[in-house]
Amino acid sequence: MNFDLTEDQREIQRTAREWLASRYPIARVREIALDGGSDATWDEIDELGWPEIADFGMVELAVVAEQLGFSLAPTPLASHWAARLLHPELEGRGTVAMWDGEDGAKLAVPAADVADTIIVQRGDQVFAVPAAEASIEPANALDPTRPLFTVRASGGEEITGDHLARAWHAIYVAAAAESVGVAARVTAMSVEYAKERKQFGRPIGSYQAVSHACAQMFLETEGARNVVLWAAWALDNDPDAAFMAANAAKAYASDAAVNVCRSSMQVHGGIGFTWEHDLHLFFKRAEANARAFGDSTWHREQVAATYL
Amino acid sequence: MDLTLSPAEEEFRDTLRAWIADNHPGKEPEGDEASFAFRRDWQQKLNERGWAGLTWPEEYGGAGATQIEQAILFEEFARSRAPQMANVLGLTMGGPTVIAHGTDEQKARFLSPILSADEMWCQGFSEPESGSDLASLKTRAVLDGDAYVVTGQKVWTTFAHHSKWCMLLARTNAEAPKHRGLTYFLMDMEQPGVEIRPLVQITGEAEFNELFIEEARIPVENVVGGVDNGWRVAITTLMHERAGLAFALQARVQVALGELADELRGTTDPLIRQRFAQVAIEAQVLRLLAFRGLTSTMKGGEPGPEGSLGKWLWADINQALTTLAMDARGPAAQLVDDTWTYRFLRARANSIEGGTTEILKNIVAERVLGLPRA
Repeated sequence: MNFDLTEDQREIQRTAREWLASRYPIARVREIALDGGSDATWDEIDELGWPEIADFGMVELAVVAEQLGFSLAPTPLASHWAARLLHPELEGRGTVAMWDGEDGAKLAVPAADVADTIIVQRGDQVFAVPAAEASIEPANALDPTRPLFTVRASGGEEITGDHLARAWHAIYVAAAAESVGVAARVTAMSVEYAKERKQFGRPIGSYQAVSHACAQMFLETEGARNVVLWAAWALDNDPDAAFMAANAAKAYASDAAVNVCRSSMQVHGGIGFTWEHDLHLFFKRAEANARAFGDSTWHREQVAATYL
Repeated sequence: MDLTLSPAEEEFRDTLRAWIADNHPGKEPEGDEASFAFRRDWQQKLNERGWAGLTWPEEYGGAGATQIEQAILFEEFARSRAPQMANVLGLTMGGPTVIAHGTDEQKARFLSPILSADEMWCQGFSEPESGSDLASLKTRAVLDGDAYVVTGQKVWTTFAHHSKWCMLLARTNAEAPKHRGLTYFLMDMEQPGVEIRPLVQITGEAEFNELFIEEARIPVENVVGGVDNGWRVAITTLMHERAGLAFALQARVQVALGELADELRGTTDPLIRQRFAQVAIEAQVLRLLAFRGLTSTMKGGEPGPEGSLGKWLWADINQALTTLAMDARGPAAQLVDDTWTYRFLRARANSIEGGTTEILKNIVAERVLGLPRA
């Protein structure tokens, strides 16, 4: 019994934190975001072995995913993971299209501009459609660090197998882990600001209205990380609990990131509402990611169904 | 990350599970007196099996078990909806304090009757003027020959009316800074200087008491951990017991959650389903915080912030859970039932007792996040 990362997992965490910080400093994230595309530079990510990290284990994947959220990295890595989990024989890069729009279009598909294959959900079925055969239009994404596209893709080869249910739940956990990273980064930003910013001659963090808001952020971030790591571990080790855990992780972590960012905007006051401050980038990632792969209301209903 | 049990731990779990199945006392009656007697019987049964003081050293009547085995015990209690033990303050605070700080004579005298539930323990910390600011307490103890003479007033003394011994914090040095003039005593409740007045709560019951202490005598051999060292004795024990407490609290939540699920099963009301799921998820978060706390304690470091987070989250969860149960009853919730009315009312104290949620948030803000003191 050891509810903590192993030394190897900590090493992965350190590498991810440092590499992503140097590759995607926030100024670079802004440049890519304003450019409106996905950053499809894979060389070093391939060398790090991250596209296949699910093969090592879901905890390892969750550790890297948290750092993707922490850094707001505009890499299409998470979209590729989702495609590869559903379609293990995937060749090249992939993404997943699931939300129905009008006239058979799929809404809010990330990284479609740099994917070779689009995994399309239709009802309970999933199909692999070559991106070259699909129509892909840029959409106006709330989160500029993760460009979205409207995709029209018909036909394709159906993907079948016993792996699919687990794959969807693994995707929920990966998305939840990204939200944990956002929550952790924004909690740290808020605490730092509350120590520095003075009003009425005192740091605002000395006022309980502010310090208790920061404590709440910490509680939800810690709680979210714990439930995500549990779900990730359960997917590889405890199949009876894994699906409920994954739904719980996505619901709780989505809400945690959203709550932390909304509260952080209050702690930051006026400066946090400006375009030049970085907070809105995290805020928008939290809001968008909370709605990707099922919102917290949908995931809570899945949890309710296991009890009631 | 590894939440699996070792073969020895699995064997312990299976033994425990089988034993509980054979000895389970059934559903606990509601209300203070009935549930107290019920929990006392249950503790005695466990003690006969050697499991009341599971993690206590064998020389003091415990089983010398690991913290993981303690966690397994709470998990199995939750799974089987078994009651908690009656002498909870003696088992989780008084006994460990005596084991950590007591003399050999104190260990020989006090530990065994805690386990057998022959002598119940209560805690005399809070005072009418000293709630969150506990260290400002005014009850004073003055040395007179071979005994201290104690005068003062304590409040919110849980189970005082059942108790033989009181863990009493009193001021022995009025000149020292407030944290350094306190001493930790074991006070015999059965003496003329101690008057217990029931404090009737919003539930209509008197689980708590007021304690009026007028020249009560405590022999010097009942000082624990040294004169004027009481704050450190009280706090260190509290910190080291928090991993265990977090498990006990989360186990109680899991029991109540299972009972509520039984009542709500099949409901199609989406609001009720959403709220139930939220409580169930947060109960898992609480459970995982307890696991995390266990891991950091086992690694030998200082107990992490999990204790403060756990107590705070538990209060939120138990209030949400009991409120949901009331709301699910609909208009019938205007009437007192035999389960949820009491629990709902009782849960209002959860965010006050044992450290208010505001104090816990201060602890997290100041000691974990490093924010300046209010």
